[in-house]
Amino acid sequence: MIISNYMKNEHRECDTLFASAEEAIALGEWDVAEERFLAFSNEALTHFKKEEEELFPAFEAQTGMTEGPTQVMRYEHEQVRGLLGNMAESLEAKDKDACLSLAESMMILLQQHNMKEEQMLYAMCDRVLPAELKEKTLETMKNMSL
Amino acid sequence: MLNQNGLSLDQAPPIFVVFRFFFVGALFGILSGLFVLFFQETIFNAHSTEAIILTHTLTLGVMLSFMFGALFQMLPVIAGIKLTSPDLKANLLLYPFIVGIIALLFAFKLTTVSWLFLLASVLLGGSLLGIIVILLKNLFSLENHTSTSKGTTYTLLSLGIAVLFALYLTGTLAGVTEGSAYSHIKEAHYSFGLYGWIALLIISISFQVIEMFYVTPPFPKLFLNYMPATLFILLLLASLVGIFYPSIWLLADILLALLLGSYAVLTLKRFTQRKRPLTDATVWFWRLGLSSLLLSMLSLLLTLFIDYDPIKALSYIAFSSFGLSIVFAMFYKIVPFLTWFHLNSQGYISPPMMHQIIHPKMMMKHLYIHTATIVTFIFAIFIPQLIFLAGLLTILSFGWAGYQVVNAHLLYRKTQKTGKKFNMGSMY
Repeated sequence: MIISNYMKNEHRECDTLFASAEEAIALGEWDVAEERFLAFSNEALTHFKKEEEELFPAFEAQTGMTEGPTQVMRYEHEQVRGLLGNMAESLEAKDKDACLSLAESMMILLQQHNMKEEQMLYAMCDRVLPAELKEKTLETMKNMSL
Repeated sequence: MLNQNGLSLDQAPPIFVVFRFFFVGALFGILSGLFVLFFQETIFNAHSTEAIILTHTLTLGVMLSFMFGALFQMLPVIAGIKLTSPDLKANLLLYPFIVGIIALLFAFKLTTVSWLFLLASVLLGGSLLGIIVILLKNLFSLENHTSTSKGTTYTLLSLGIAVLFALYLTGTLAGVTEGSAYSHIKEAHYSFGLYGWIALLIISISFQVIEMFYVTPPFPKLFLNYMPATLFILLLLASLVGIFYPSIWLLADILLALLLGSYAVLTLKRFTQRKRPLTDATVWFWRLGLSSLLLSMLSLLLTLFIDYDPIKALSYIAFSSFGLSIVFAMFYKIVPFLTWFHLNSQGYISPPMMHQIIHPKMMMKHLYIHTATIVTFIFAIFIPQLIFLAGLLTILSFGWAGYQVVNAHLLYRKTQKTGKKFNMGSMY
């Protein structure tokens, strides 16, 4: 379960960063909010990059499933990227209500997405990828940055 | 061109499936408020026909409607189950289910009209057992199980058993079966319904929802892995052994109270350990629900040793508060998110944001109304005149929830008619 454990940990780190950004938005501490939101965005986008450039292609090559779950996850990444843009705009405008509203959508969207990945996709990756390939993919992902 | 819309939405049921269940649940809630106004304090005597009618309006009409609405939405996410033709399946469940409940309520009132019990049995038994079999078949075929999907399996098994026991009871009331084990089956029926279905479904869903939506530490592994199975086996054993030794229910009730009470404490503690410090109405609905569960279990323990009717009434009210508060907590996450999510996925440039669909202040107002309803019911045990106020508050509370569904629906339709869309074709 090395893939599951590593990726789940990243999800939890993103959640924590997101929660701290959301708290700063609620308190109207805009500079802190911006800084924390940036940290969260970087973490989330790096995580997406690891999946889209390493994990998903490895899974697709192994299973031949290119139109299946990985495609759904890619589409959901696009939805999150769109929301990140909207949130950045509302942060810029210091519009607290819009920002918190988008944060709520972001939280549920991310958690729905994470649940699907953690329960299905990562478990499938751990099951179908050969041990050597799994370790190699994991190592590459660990060294990736945005 | 890649069909983007289909990818994610394929996994979610049509929005109106969920809305329909929630709206029907709210309507039955308003009906339960009207019953309170008509039946008054007779509802506090659990053996009265009035209490039985009110209980079934709340458990079947309200709780089952809301819970199935939520299940249709959540099963694809929490267990990866993708139902084929969800709209058709939902309708095949919903309409016979509504007529079945109305037939059952009339049957309880007009006990001499035995065919009404048979009609209710066919409609409720057929629709509920049908959907339970379909969902269980999907759950059993899962390759990767989580504590939530395992727990949901036990809850659906519990609901199935509660329905089968109900068929025996209605069969007896209709004069079809002799009913020699009537009182034992009745106890097993409501135990499976209240603890195996309502409580266990909330518990199973909470295993995932609390940690992820409120960013809390996870539940202890031991609890996640064994709690649902333990509760289910306990109910099953008590039902079987109870045929020969009815007093086994005393032990079973003590263990159930300890199990559910410890769950309430454990989950309340999680809410104090949130890394997401924002406290919206849904957090308070959860807290109210869990505190109510604790109160209900403490009063249940007391009723086993002290024969005092007000404590029994308190136990019922607190358990209702547990179920309804958490239903509202989920309702206020699902309705705004689903409306936004569907419109966003359809490519509208500026879909209404979650706070525009239901503003947090509207949720807080409902929290106050709901809390006032529960408190008024508790005071009404001792001051019977307050029962009118409790009935009116019940109507207001469910009217509020119903209004939110209608409002979200209208906003959804309006956006579809007037909203501008991205040109998805030009993206590829």
